[in-house]
Amino acid sequence: MNKEHLTAWILLSPALLVLGVFGIFPIFYAFFVSLHAWRIRQGEVVGAVHYLQALGDPAYLGLAAVAAALIWLAWRWGHRPNAELAVTNKPQVTPGSRPGVWFVASLVLGASGFVVLAMALGGLAETGDLRLYNGFKITLFYVLGTVPAEIAISMVLAYLLFRAQRGKSVFRVLFFLPYVTPMIATAVVFRTVFSPHPSSMANRFWGWFGLENQRWLFEGRSVAALLLEGLGVGSYPDWVNDLFPSLALVSIILYNIWVYVGYNTVIMLAGLSAIPRHFFEAAAIDGASAIRSFIHVTLPLLSPTVFFLTLVGVIGTFKAFNHIYIMRTAGAQDSVDVLPVVIFDQIYQFHDAGYASALALILFAAILLLTVMQNRLLGKRVFYGD
Amino acid sequence: MKTVGSKKGTLLAIGLACGGVIASLPFVWMLLASFMTRGETLRRAFLPGDIQWGNYAKAWSEEDFGSYFENSLIIAALQVGGTLLFSLMAAYPLARMKFRGREVVFMIILATLMVPETVTMVPNFLTVSWLHHNSPFGWINNWPALTIPFMASAFTIFLLRQFMRGIPEELWDAAQIDGAGHLRFLFQIVLPMCRAPLLTVGMLTFISSWNALGWPLLVTNTPAWRPISVALLKFVSEAGAEVHLQMAGAVIATIPVLLLYALIQKEFTEGISMSGLKG
Repeated sequence: MNKEHLTAWILLSPALLVLGVFGIFPIFYAFFVSLHAWRIRQGEVVGAVHYLQALGDPAYLGLAAVAAALIWLAWRWGHRPNAELAVTNKPQVTPGSRPGVWFVASLVLGASGFVVLAMALGGLAETGDLRLYNGFKITLFYVLGTVPAEIAISMVLAYLLFRAQRGKSVFRVLFFLPYVTPMIATAVVFRTVFSPHPSSMANRFWGWFGLENQRWLFEGRSVAALLLEGLGVGSYPDWVNDLFPSLALVSIILYNIWVYVGYNTVIMLAGLSAIPRHFFEAAAIDGASAIRSFIHVTLPLLSPTVFFLTLVGVIGTFKAFNHIYIMRTAGAQDSVDVLPVVIFDQIYQFHDAGYASALALILFAAILLLTVMQNRLLGKRVFYGD
Repeated sequence: MKTVGSKKGTLLAIGLACGGVIASLPFVWMLLASFMTRGETLRRAFLPGDIQWGNYAKAWSEEDFGSYFENSLIIAALQVGGTLLFSLMAAYPLARMKFRGREVVFMIILATLMVPETVTMVPNFLTVSWLHHNSPFGWINNWPALTIPFMASAFTIFLLRQFMRGIPEELWDAAQIDGAGHLRFLFQIVLPMCRAPLLTVGMLTFISSWNALGWPLLVTNTPAWRPISVALLKFVSEAGAEVHLQMAGAVIATIPVLLLYALIQKEFTEGISMSGLKG
């Protein structure tokens, strides 16, 4: 028995050594480093200075927390009378409940929550590191631009593959190709596809519609601003540029969709194929149309797959580095700099390990928070069968 | 009825074909452009006039892609071999042996999945620099820094453990009757059974090793061990408008992965599908 213990630990030891030294120890080490001035080598202890420098005035942080609490409360109240409805999915109102009062209260709370949040964010952006908040904003654009589109397109493609009689495996291989091919190579290809040169593929495609050449990856102005300029509106307020993604970011988003749709399709197809056939047959016997059967049978049974893909997609966006680092240009300014890029610059260009570690841990906290939130918000709506 | 069916079939085919064209168009463009002259890439040409094989020779020797290619191959081979061996060794006791602390160890291993590379990069760079000065062999600008930190993967261990739990207990009983211990059982019975998952995670490890960019930039500052990813980045940012050579470089960087994919396409796609189903 003792010998078996020994064998087990010997087998485990190489992996544990590597994971311990390069996977777990770095979290604590990063925290230690973040509390020091640390250029090339260890300097004096500076405490929370890096975190304050990055996040901004703690008073505004407190305000943001208050805003989050308000919005959370509003969300809870708004759902209270419907709590049972969400489970049974029947459009009935239980007699005796007062949805009106709760609804108005939650609306007021939610609205004030968002006002407070806007104030807090304004203050944080002013007192903290603009690159950090800009990075979060770009990540948000990036998530909203990629994840829903990838899920929708891959669902259609998976459905087509599922229904196809012939050529299934050929198309599956074809769709999977962009995901398998090294991103360092395809990102280089897309740099030329989205180049500002008149001969680039994007500009040629644009030309078919009689539209002017664009600067694509070199364009730091937002798509909304470009649209206004295209319509002949010369002057617009600053927020038109601030609240919309730049054309450079949109180009990267299109690239990202191109890469991951194939992966999502393969997973989605596996999910579809795992649904027992008798569900579809029962729906057909009940006279459900193809669309109704898709909404009421396929979608709920596919929800664990969609949930998995959303989770992977969102976390992947927070970690995106390689292709953005290759596709970023001077012309795009900071409009594509997600946090991993900002953090990498901090260590690679400025050799500031202390501040880079603080930023990295803030990113880590954000990812953890987001994962927990996603699990709580979406996890409940997932149907895992009985 | 028949016509409705065939109409649907046509729609299906059109939808799939559209997806296929969009998926493959950038590859077609990459290949075509890699055979063009510089003038042709600037002149909106769609097809190369004369096929310029010279682009590849130029990228391979003058731009030194040959040696970066070799570096990347060695790095990937070491990383794939190391990860598969160590993960197999770790997955086995977690799946099939009884010892105190097993669940705790497994949870700790899974926890490392949550940590993004951005967080570990800075401290690992400091660790590797320290090791560079305090170990018998150099780490910076050398293969250890590029491969050893990635020689175990929680994801691989998790996937192999799940697979090994499905191996029937009777096999182990039979092996014991024949006098085999855990080690012989692992390497003679379990290892061959794990062929499909090993191919899948091997391919994933190869791709991630081939794609690595940030870490190699940090730990190599001479061309000696520079991988092809770093070479491509430098090439793109320095060579400006040399589109035909960039594309030749991209094709060179793509070939090994596509070759591997062609060889194990079936197992790999199946393996990826399974990983999604189990979550």
